[in-house]
Amino acid sequence: MGKRDKKWKYPRTRLQWLWDNMEGHRFIYVLAMLGTVVYNMLQLTVPYFSGKIVDNFLTGENASQNLTEHPDLFIQNLALMVGLTIFRCIIVYVDCMAYEYVSQAVLFRVRNYLYDKIQRQDMKFYSTYRTGDLMTRVTGDLDAVRHMVAWVVRMVMEAVALVSFTSIYFIIMDWKLAFNLLIVAPLIFFIIYVFKLLVAPMHALLREKLANMNTIAQENIAGNRVVKAFAREDHEIEKFDDCNTDYRDTNKKTAGVWLRFFPFVETLANLLSVILLLVGGTFLIRGDMSMGEYVAFSGLIWAIANPMRQLGNVMNEFQRFSAASAKVMEIYYSEPEIVDAKDAVDKPDRFKGEVEFKDVSFQYADAKLPVLEHISFTAKPGQTIAIMGETGCGKTSLIHLIPRFYEPTEGEILVDGVNINKLKLNQLRKNIGLATQDVLLYSDTIDGNIAYGDSNISKDEVVRFAKYSAASDFIAKMPEGYETIVGERGVGLSGGQKQRISLARALAVRPSILILDDTTSAVDLETEKEIQESLRHLDFPCTKIIIAQRISTTKDADQILIMQHGEITERGTHEELIKKGGYYAELVKLQAGA
Amino acid sequence: MARRNTYKEDEILEEPFDIRHLLRAWVYIRKHAGKMVLALILSALGGAAALVSPMIVQKALDVAVPNGDMAMLYRLVVYVAAFFVVSVIFTTIRSYIMINVSQDIIYQIRADLFKHLQKLPFQYYDDRPQGKILVRVVNYVNSVSDMLSNGLINVILEIINLIFIVVFMFAVDVKLSLVVMAGVPFLMVFMFWIKNKQRKAWQAVSNKNSNLNAYLQENIVGARITQIFAREEENAEIFKTLSGNCRKTWMTAVGYSTLVWPGIDTISVLVRASIFLFGLLIFSQGSETLGTIVAISSYASRFWQPIMNLGNIFNGFINNMAYLERIFETMDEPVTVDDAPDAVEMEKVKGEVTFENVSFSYEKGKEILHNVSFSVKPGESVALVGPTGAGKSTIVSLISRFYNVDSGRILIDGQDISKVTLKSLRSQMGIMLQDSFIFSGTIEDNIRYGKLDATEAEIRRASKTVCAHPFIKGMRDGYRTEVKERGALLSQGQKQLISFARTLLSDPAILVLDEATSSIDVQTEKALQQGLDAMLAGRTSFIIAHRLSTITRCDKIMYINEGGITECGSHEELMAKKGDYYHLYTAQMEGLEVS
Repeated sequence: MGKRDKKWKYPRTRLQWLWDNMEGHRFIYVLAMLGTVVYNMLQLTVPYFSGKIVDNFLTGENASQNLTEHPDLFIQNLALMVGLTIFRCIIVYVDCMAYEYVSQAVLFRVRNYLYDKIQRQDMKFYSTYRTGDLMTRVTGDLDAVRHMVAWVVRMVMEAVALVSFTSIYFIIMDWKLAFNLLIVAPLIFFIIYVFKLLVAPMHALLREKLANMNTIAQENIAGNRVVKAFAREDHEIEKFDDCNTDYRDTNKKTAGVWLRFFPFVETLANLLSVILLLVGGTFLIRGDMSMGEYVAFSGLIWAIANPMRQLGNVMNEFQRFSAASAKVMEIYYSEPEIVDAKDAVDKPDRFKGEVEFKDVSFQYADAKLPVLEHISFTAKPGQTIAIMGETGCGKTSLIHLIPRFYEPTEGEILVDGVNINKLKLNQLRKNIGLATQDVLLYSDTIDGNIAYGDSNISKDEVVRFAKYSAASDFIAKMPEGYETIVGERGVGLSGGQKQRISLARALAVRPSILILDDTTSAVDLETEKEIQESLRHLDFPCTKIIIAQRISTTKDADQILIMQHGEITERGTHEELIKKGGYYAELVKLQAGA
Repeated sequence: MARRNTYKEDEILEEPFDIRHLLRAWVYIRKHAGKMVLALILSALGGAAALVSPMIVQKALDVAVPNGDMAMLYRLVVYVAAFFVVSVIFTTIRSYIMINVSQDIIYQIRADLFKHLQKLPFQYYDDRPQGKILVRVVNYVNSVSDMLSNGLINVILEIINLIFIVVFMFAVDVKLSLVVMAGVPFLMVFMFWIKNKQRKAWQAVSNKNSNLNAYLQENIVGARITQIFAREEENAEIFKTLSGNCRKTWMTAVGYSTLVWPGIDTISVLVRASIFLFGLLIFSQGSETLGTIVAISSYASRFWQPIMNLGNIFNGFINNMAYLERIFETMDEPVTVDDAPDAVEMEKVKGEVTFENVSFSYEKGKEILHNVSFSVKPGESVALVGPTGAGKSTIVSLISRFYNVDSGRILIDGQDISKVTLKSLRSQMGIMLQDSFIFSGTIEDNIRYGKLDATEAEIRRASKTVCAHPFIKGMRDGYRTEVKERGALLSQGQKQLISFARTLLSDPAILVLDEATSSIDVQTEKALQQGLDAMLAGRTSFIIAHRLSTITRCDKIMYINEGGITECGSHEELMAKKGDYYHLYTAQMEGLEVS
């Protein structure tokens, strides 16, 4: 279906994609499809045996005679009936489980793949997709894909099996009557086709509304403190109510589309019985057909009518799958822009830690102005570089270029003399310890949080890094010490505590380049002094790039860079800059005067 | 306090399976009872109309065909068609009604759930990953819709159906009816066995899904951290485990659920076979008896049809019950901080704040504050200093009643804050938290959050006061710039300025600044000071800051340590005292004097 669609931008169509992801389970899946055919055949034949029992041994002309003369035959028939039913039940069970098995295998595979895909995306991706939307893709949308494999296909197979067997049987029995009945088929197909055209956009819309609701709810939960602080619960409830209502109404509308078609489909399904009576009855009167044949027809008419009734439902589900799978495939086939270069240098050993910016400029993709202009500086291995400047002057953007969160628009950044876009991302980042401004801890133990970058480090080491970042004292005081679980985003900890854990986490990877983005802003001064002291005596060589507001943090740096509006306006040591009498000197005065 | 929950642990379901959950769902169903009864009647009528058709067909075959009466045949065909049309119309209307009912029910459940979530205290959000809350609001609610609407109607229809058939059967022959019913105990045992298995299995599914969701959400939000620590491989392994758990529990659960239908089918065929056997081999072979056997056998299959349908519906109930339980469990989550029953609206506040012997603990037995008492006059500015974790943030969050005190009282303008409505209390407070959360939307929207009906001019004025105007102007679309989720495009300092403007706009009587300027550079802060002074004038304010420059000018400085106020006074007084504050201050000055 997708192939003919000109807008389709993925290498595989939806069904091909599904098939790709069934790898290793295709054989079972085909067997399952065959199994569906088999149990539906049994479904058609079992009534035949129970009918025969009734005819031969209960109601037929020679019933009592048959029964007294051939009780063994009766038992045999009975056993056959029971046996076949149980056999069918077993097949149904195994078959359903086979579908479930394969659908879960597909789900498992795609889900893991998507997760990996998402976590390797660059920052541009994350500013495009909202959390709630991504969540919808990995949960709700994927469930529609699972449902397709587990249920929709089975229903289609069931319908195909029932309708084709019954049609063939009918045609063999009486092709004229069969033809009269099957005249309904093109009508059904036409109706379902029109239905599909109308319902497809509804499912795409419905899916959007769901993602929207997910996003709103997600943000409300994440921002619950602000909501409470401003007593904006009513406003939030209203906001959520809008999307909840929207989702409900879209659901109703989607169902409404089906409802407009339902009477026709249902009427056509019933029309079969009417035609049977009309044409069959006429044939009977004319003597063109025996009563037995008529009973056979009427006994099996459900096998055509029921799949017809199901068809709308199946189409609905198929469209749901269609809308959802497009969303899933969008992520599935997305590629981050920042990836390893083909000719990337392999540097498995620890970096020396030299960082050099050569005339680097940078602008965010959707921004008006560049954030960084012609930045050049060099940090020799082991040196400390301090960066200071006003809020929004580009400090954070600058350091985000080092681990290649973004690519500079101009110039180049070298680490150990190699342009970072020629280094392997993984190796580059493994050598960087970054404590971000916006501290993000995980709902895990403190121990687990500190060891995030290297889960193999020992307990003792965790404690040691906590000591380096002056966190060990407060951790020791916590109810379960290092085993205390901090809530998501570190709730329950004060700002200063979070920052210190984040610092310990950055140190724990023993980086050759340590980047601290205002990491001690919420830490009290005494503690900060302690941290400064231990940073000077780390037991591994390490280049430090530190963004800070306080002179006390920066004064011992080998080089201080002052940034204004994306440019470096002053550089030098503490003494040099004071002599120079610029921004920095002003800053020193300001802070001393406090 | 229970241990905080993480993605690694299942949440324990406290309650055993309980029919009460279904009864509770009745609250939602009740509102639509009229429509549902109508739908039920329509279904019954539609069903009856559909049942008449075979009778007409029978007549056609028995009378019209043997007589060769074409006219009669045609007439009967028209009748049949007419009954079908009626049946279709009824069914369509029923579907229409039920679509509305089911959508309205889930809308309502979701709205109530969300409303309740808004009332839940910080603690609730702190104790579990956000993804676990989210999955309930969105995914779980979706799952239960059909069960509460169509499921219910179908149950009633099938039960009515069943009762009719049972009555008929017994009217025909009691003994054989008993044979037919003999299968029921087996069925009961089977269903009972499978019900328990199934329920546990589906609960496990919901737990594992919840864990997966929690992990997923946390890692999408924390993608940057994952990448900087190059943890992708390890995270993928963890995700795979969680994903595998979902798969395993699903297969187990679906293994039981799939068993129901074939199970009932098997029992039913065994019953039918035993009717034949029983009827023929034990009874005498008189022809009247044979007729009875045939009749009973056809009733037997009709008896088992609704039973099988009920089994299927029941199956769905059990599957979704796990979700419904989770939803109701969340709705049952106690609202620990709520308006007192006789709460009054708090009048416009002057700003006197008094703590009377306040003790507080987040966890039993670990007191954070012990017998804290102090009083702040309207318009005074108070700085809270002290080591991290001493309880400074706790004190200010108690003023907004984010938590209830263990003992003692907090008074604002002489009024106990636990006696006034939360909304009237909090809307008069301006609280700037450490984590300045930015919503997705425009910058303007974010500032407007402080005062929903603020004009553009007001927003600009507030931004100018807090020195946010220049950088906002410089952005792509100025105030209309879309900040991404969590303000991804803003620096931490910029976020703080925006959240500052937001707080200012709300025009609070009492202002709380909790490390509100920690990420703002000293220069900007200096400029901000002016605006801040204007902002503080006439308002009671509580300021927590490590940068002492921000606080030396406060009217009162309280040194918080070891769960209480150890020192209190003006900067000069405390300096003269040469206590903790003196040491703190001199340490900071020393740090600067080295230069």
